[in-house]
Amino acid sequence: MANVELKQVFKRYGDVEVVHGVDLEIMDSEFIVLVGPSGCGKSTVLRMVAGLEVISGGEIVIDGRVVNQVSPKDRNVAMVFQNYALYPHMSVRENMGFSLKMSKMSRDDIAAKVQEAAGILELEPYLDRKPSELSGGQRQRVAMGRAIVRKPDVFLFDEPLSNLDAQLRTQMRMELRKMHMRMNTTTIYVTHDQIEAMTLADRIVILKDGYIQQVGTPVEVYEKPANVFVARFIGNPPMNIFDGVVATVDGLRCVQLGETMFPLSEGKGDGLADGRPVIVGLRPDAIKMGDKLEKLPEKWHCTCEVVLSEILGGHSLLEVVVDGKHTMIAEVEGRILAHPGEIVPIGFEFDRMVLFDPETTNALL
Amino acid sequence: MREASRDRLKAFLTLLPSIILIGVFVYGFIGETIWTSLTDWGGSGALSLTPEKNFIGLANYVELFTGVLGGGFRQDLVNAVYYSVMLLVGAVGLGMFIAILLDQKPKGEDVLRTIFLYPMSLSFIVSGTIWRWLLAPQGGLNVLPKYAGMEPLDFQWLSSTAAILEFNWQNLFQILLYVAAFLLILTGLWLLKKDSGMAVKRWLVPGIAVGAGAWLFGDLLPEALFMEETHGFNLATMGIIMATVWQYSGYTMALYLAGFNGISQDLRDAAMLDGASEVGYYRHVAIPMLKPITISAVIILSHISLKMFDLIFAMTGPDNAETGHPALNMYLTTFRANNFAQGAAIAIVLFLVAAMFIVPYLVSQYRQRGRR
Repeated sequence: MANVELKQVFKRYGDVEVVHGVDLEIMDSEFIVLVGPSGCGKSTVLRMVAGLEVISGGEIVIDGRVVNQVSPKDRNVAMVFQNYALYPHMSVRENMGFSLKMSKMSRDDIAAKVQEAAGILELEPYLDRKPSELSGGQRQRVAMGRAIVRKPDVFLFDEPLSNLDAQLRTQMRMELRKMHMRMNTTTIYVTHDQIEAMTLADRIVILKDGYIQQVGTPVEVYEKPANVFVARFIGNPPMNIFDGVVATVDGLRCVQLGETMFPLSEGKGDGLADGRPVIVGLRPDAIKMGDKLEKLPEKWHCTCEVVLSEILGGHSLLEVVVDGKHTMIAEVEGRILAHPGEIVPIGFEFDRMVLFDPETTNALL
Repeated sequence: MREASRDRLKAFLTLLPSIILIGVFVYGFIGETIWTSLTDWGGSGALSLTPEKNFIGLANYVELFTGVLGGGFRQDLVNAVYYSVMLLVGAVGLGMFIAILLDQKPKGEDVLRTIFLYPMSLSFIVSGTIWRWLLAPQGGLNVLPKYAGMEPLDFQWLSSTAAILEFNWQNLFQILLYVAAFLLILTGLWLLKKDSGMAVKRWLVPGIAVGAGAWLFGDLLPEALFMEETHGFNLATMGIIMATVWQYSGYTMALYLAGFNGISQDLRDAAMLDGASEVGYYRHVAIPMLKPITISAVIILSHISLKMFDLIFAMTGPDNAETGHPALNMYLTTFRANNFAQGAAIAIVLFLVAAMFIVPYLVSQYRQRGRR
């Protein structure tokens, strides 16, 4: 177990800089998820922590030791790869014991440790099989087993679940979480799937184009995105985004979207002058319909026209148009059966509204 | 049903010409050669239109292995074993080594790869001629040390008559038993890690028993020859071995390099994170993973080693007793001495040696397919 610190870490390939001065402090036994679109540099950061990529600038510190010049094998980190990277010619047992064998551990100790890890991952019946004789989920387990037998300081996961089908992914996600609760090993987990990020992370790090956009707990990045990119990237369906102008109408502070007015909750937008353009963000689940409307103040109600409705079992997704102009996605509880073209009452949790600066796209306040 | 049988008939008819041609010109002639090797066709009347052929059983083979005049063939056979083993070890080892070096992605890898692969495009006659010059007593290799200010070598690369590792052909059976024991024990030791119980029971104990038996009771075994006759590793063959290794290590390099390039970078990264050094990666991951390539290389090289006729012909000529090969011997016996029956017997011995390499390979291939 160890803390990990990245200080102004750069990565350049020739003239191309792909990671631009990343600063990140990861606490002991923390589960950190690096998330971002393809090419954002998340895997590069992970590989730099592993030592598989040379650091072009800055420092990486693991457990108080600068590891810039330390080779991967001496960093005491274990990594699980997207395609599992199991050794095809070795049995499950040999795969899991390989790192111990390389560390010259006695054969009996290796057998005991492999047995223990296999027990945790329920791999005992498969120990003598080759990876090619296993299903995707089982291979995934072996890859994890290979990582946990060593009791490393840090676990590194590089999109470990993306080769699994949806159901298995959910299951493995929960198992990963349980494993972390049990082992309490510092973990850095890379994914492009924001659901994995939300469900697994103690803290999420959102990366874009080699820059950190935001570091925060899942709720923080969901409710208080640092910029429009994070607002759109985290959450599915993504946040509804509109252009507006701050105004005071009848003594009430609000954001005007043409004719439509989104009232600002108390204290919000106090520092913003009337007439200032802003970007407004509203989560789909901050939109209420049906009996949930009653919990909202009357003044936050209005009507909308339904364009499309999808029932997803326990909740529904609706595409609606407010004031004939503003199209938005609403994610509402219960099964809302509305036909296209129907006019239905709708309410907004305006206290959850976020404002961004149109120029910098950063969050205001 | 009728449709299916018609398809079968069509398929059979399509294959029929090649079945007939291969049947006659390959298997028919192998059969004819086997038959010839069991006759006494040869001598003064051999070239007559209706030569005299009498069935004499295995007499030709007995003559080759135990006869007074078979000494040359026996040395050729010993040479063939050394040619094969040395070519395999040399070309696989050197090829693998170069492939590992090139796998480090040095600058100019493409050029180097072409350079190393180039010798294979030469025919054995060409490379044999070049190497004959290089290995001439006063040329090429021997004068190299002069450029470093040292005395030139005076080793007779192609005409040395010295031999090492000599053994008495009389003790052939004992030696074969030693070899068998050695192979059994080697297999046993190799399997010891995987399944120690079976390794000891099936391989180690029998191996030691055979070895000890051969040592203790070797004197009781029949002697293969009535007189003492020593054979060994003729130093004159070293030059020829060097030439073949030079010619074919580039080929194995290409095989291994393709294999190494096919191993995903993730696997290499995983091995590094698992604590494997560069050497450890090749030893435990890359080379074991390329076992199918090693097997192919061994099969291909081993049958090339049985066809070294032209290289030896070009380097030392057909009559050098020190560097002979059964294939050359077969040619000389058949077409110069007109001793067709004996030549056929040599050909069949070579055929069986080749089968020893190919059959296990085919069996393993069939088994793999069956498993799928």
